[in-house]
Amino acid sequence: MKKPVTLLVNGREHDLLLEPNRLLLDVLREELGLTGTKEGCSIGVCGACSVLVDGKVVSACLTFAIAVRDREITTLEGLSRDGALDPVQQAFLEVGAYQCGFCTPGQIMAARALLNQNPHPTQQEVVDWMSGNLCRCTGYYKILEAVLAAAGPHPDPLPEGEGILARG
Amino acid sequence: MVAQTERSQLQVVGQRVVRKDGLDKLTGEALYVADINRPGMLAGRILRSPYPHARIRGIDTSRARQLRGVYAVVTADDTPKRGWGAFMPDQFPMAVGKVRYVGDEVAGVAAIDEETAEAALRLIEVDYEELPAVFDPEEAMRPGAPLIHDDRPNNVAVTIDVERGDVEAAFRRSDVVVEGVFNSHHQWHSSIETLGSVAEWSPSGKLTVWMNTQTLFMARYRIAGALGLRDGDVRIIQPAVGGGFGGKSCDDNNAMVCAVLAMKSGRPVKIINSREEEFLASRPRVPMKIYTKMGFRSDGAILAKQIRVIADNGAYSGKAPGIMGVAALRHDTCYRYSDVKTQAYLVYTNKVPTGAFRGFGNPSAEWAIEQTIDLGAEKLGLDPLEVLRLNAVEAGYVSPHGNEVRQGELKQCIDLVAEMMDWKRRRAEKKPNHGLGVGCTVHVSGKRHFGDYDGSSATIKMNEDGKVMIWSGEGECGQGPATVMCQIVAEELGVPIEDVEIARADTDQSTFCLGAFGSRLTYIAGNAVRNAASEVKKQILDMAAELLEANPADLECRNARIQVRGTPEEGRSVTTRDVARACLYRRGGRPVIASGSFDADSVLQNDVRYGNESGAFNFACQAAEVEVDPETGEVKIVQYAAASDCGTVINPVLAEGQVEGSIAQGIGYALTEGLAFDNGSPVNPNFHEYKLPSMADMPPLKAKFADSWDPSGPFGAKGLGELGMDPFAAVIANAVYDAVGVRITTLPITPEKVLRALEERRGAEGR
Repeated sequence: MKKPVTLLVNGREHDLLLEPNRLLLDVLREELGLTGTKEGCSIGVCGACSVLVDGKVVSACLTFAIAVRDREITTLEGLSRDGALDPVQQAFLEVGAYQCGFCTPGQIMAARALLNQNPHPTQQEVVDWMSGNLCRCTGYYKILEAVLAAAGPHPDPLPEGEGILARG
Repeated sequence: MVAQTERSQLQVVGQRVVRKDGLDKLTGEALYVADINRPGMLAGRILRSPYPHARIRGIDTSRARQLRGVYAVVTADDTPKRGWGAFMPDQFPMAVGKVRYVGDEVAGVAAIDEETAEAALRLIEVDYEELPAVFDPEEAMRPGAPLIHDDRPNNVAVTIDVERGDVEAAFRRSDVVVEGVFNSHHQWHSSIETLGSVAEWSPSGKLTVWMNTQTLFMARYRIAGALGLRDGDVRIIQPAVGGGFGGKSCDDNNAMVCAVLAMKSGRPVKIINSREEEFLASRPRVPMKIYTKMGFRSDGAILAKQIRVIADNGAYSGKAPGIMGVAALRHDTCYRYSDVKTQAYLVYTNKVPTGAFRGFGNPSAEWAIEQTIDLGAEKLGLDPLEVLRLNAVEAGYVSPHGNEVRQGELKQCIDLVAEMMDWKRRRAEKKPNHGLGVGCTVHVSGKRHFGDYDGSSATIKMNEDGKVMIWSGEGECGQGPATVMCQIVAEELGVPIEDVEIARADTDQSTFCLGAFGSRLTYIAGNAVRNAASEVKKQILDMAAELLEANPADLECRNARIQVRGTPEEGRSVTTRDVARACLYRRGGRPVIASGSFDADSVLQNDVRYGNESGAFNFACQAAEVEVDPETGEVKIVQYAAASDCGTVINPVLAEGQVEGSIAQGIGYALTEGLAFDNGSPVNPNFHEYKLPSMADMPPLKAKFADSWDPSGPFGAKGLGELGMDPFAAVIANAVYDAVGVRITTLPITPEKVLRALEERRGAEGR
């Protein structure tokens, strides 16, 4: 039995009629045409479907749409405002932290969620956080670099030669 | 130094140019095949064999067809039953008479939505007669083994038996002879985007397929062939592709079934593989068992090499014949020796068909051979890095199989790795349970493989505003060739990178291209677009000469402005925009447009597998320091170093990305990725069980590119994409041995295997 559900996505309210078991991922992609959110593994492992719910990252492939009614949902399409890229997007662009781009929406949303709660993460905090988002192309180094760049200079930077980005 | 002079003048090549597809990918605008929707589109699903080997006595689709919302149910009876395959036509779009692995395509359904299609699949009744199955290639070769293809005795699809020189005499001359047996395993590409297609059939007889393929024209040829259409009646359009690595080369049946459903239903149909289907029925890396024997002189010089390769083809051949050929012979272009013997057998089994994956046959061969060299170095009491350096090929080398290394910087790569690792100091100051490993590789920049052609072609036009458009059918899967091609064209024309764009690859729009495989695009497609740009440049300079009343030979174009060479910047000049407009807006005007092509200076290897397979060879050396936990068997990479010779680096961001991505896939191949098989089928085929490396698995990495210029490449460039993957697993195995004295010979190197080996050794020592 379909039920009326209002979803707040990227600042807009959408009145929908949904089966209660409809996944947020499918609703975003099929009902709202927000295809920036990707399906990679369907079991919540790869992170390609990461979106923000009230600023926190969730796997849209494991979330029933009805469960996030009236919550604030943000997808990649809602991240850039008035034509300006989010600092995370900008850093990904400048560092070149993407190749095929398929995991990229999830990487960016996960990074945004991290920076929302921890504006200046250490390298290890970024590694721990971002390890829930798989990428098969980049080897992650540039993603790490981009997330750190988006956060800006760390008040307590790593000593020279420490961490996995010490390429010298 | 011509090369240095030329390189110092480059404006766009060598720059960290932002990718052409960057903004689309970072804002969610890029459309991948799953994002493509057509009016009236149906959802397609595939019924797959639950048995590894069975005869199909009959298929009853009547109940499925009657289900509300079902538009088409298809089986092999809806096809011309033509065999297809990259090298051998041994597979069909859907099984004809027999299934040969768990996952084999049996039928397809197109329905109003996925749920209905799934429900219809369950209503198809297939009457199977189970047949004895065989899963191990060596068992499959034995007399009396179940025959998988009636026309292939002993289940052997391909045999290679080559000897150059006199290997037995060379072994007799050797001071040390070492032997080993090494097993490599299935590795799945695991692109985060699975295989998928959207097919549409028009009443005029045109089949259009949006598919995430790396090889559009090969896909067109295979689909047309298998379905009885003319090549020109099939149009392949490449959307954004979510990673390829060899797995999206149209060697599987996803697009085939999708096309048959579209033709039968008359409606557009979309089939996106589930992750489970990707494990069951894509074309993972070819597992190989390699017996090695190598002879060394006391100073470390390699005198003889003999290998025997048993390659697991799975149920159908795809690209595996070429992959085994590479594993059998390619590595003899890495080190200098002339006495070599190779026997190799590609063997059918009732398992998932195997195929192309980054590195092709190299990673399996390197896994075996680079470990065997390490065995030799140890027996001789030599530093393995010095042994590699002593034997490394240099420019001018011709391999026993005819490969001509006209240019190459392998020794420089070895030196770079020694420097990055501080190799000698690390060796001298090694801590307990720490070890060092090193290995090298040689790869091609395109291989003459499919007929006597390893070329590319492209068309370039300059619009009336001076903006340049490239049409190439090679495609983009994420590695960045589209941006590389734009950089090469911008450089050749003397216009800024912002003035160049490249059209989405589409077989109806571009000339014939082989596609993305064999690390060929920068070198082969790069040369083709450069040649096309050179023709465009002639047209512009001719018109500019008319406008400037100068000789075209005296003109140069820099930053979209054409003027007489050597005159001051503010001197008389015209812009490319003015010139492009002048070409059009005159009596008899014509657009600025030209095509260009390139075919590599290589030869198709003859029936005894002799001949120079590629126009340019690229090289790499890698080394690792690992720490092995003797209590858990866990291997931690303390430091990794990779040096690559890819000639000129066209775009450092993209080049670094290829190396860094290869390292991650190498970690997966060497340490984390693998599935057990049960009754011929991978167990737990999902990302919980199949462990892709994550950011937390990445080691500190130092990576450098050799100072290298290949005169046959576009602005000195060669291939790069596969190099980083090739030696990785052997480097880790060598380092593990150096750390704790146990040699792991079966991939992946899991903590369980290391621990078991350590316990066996402790047991043996205790006795």
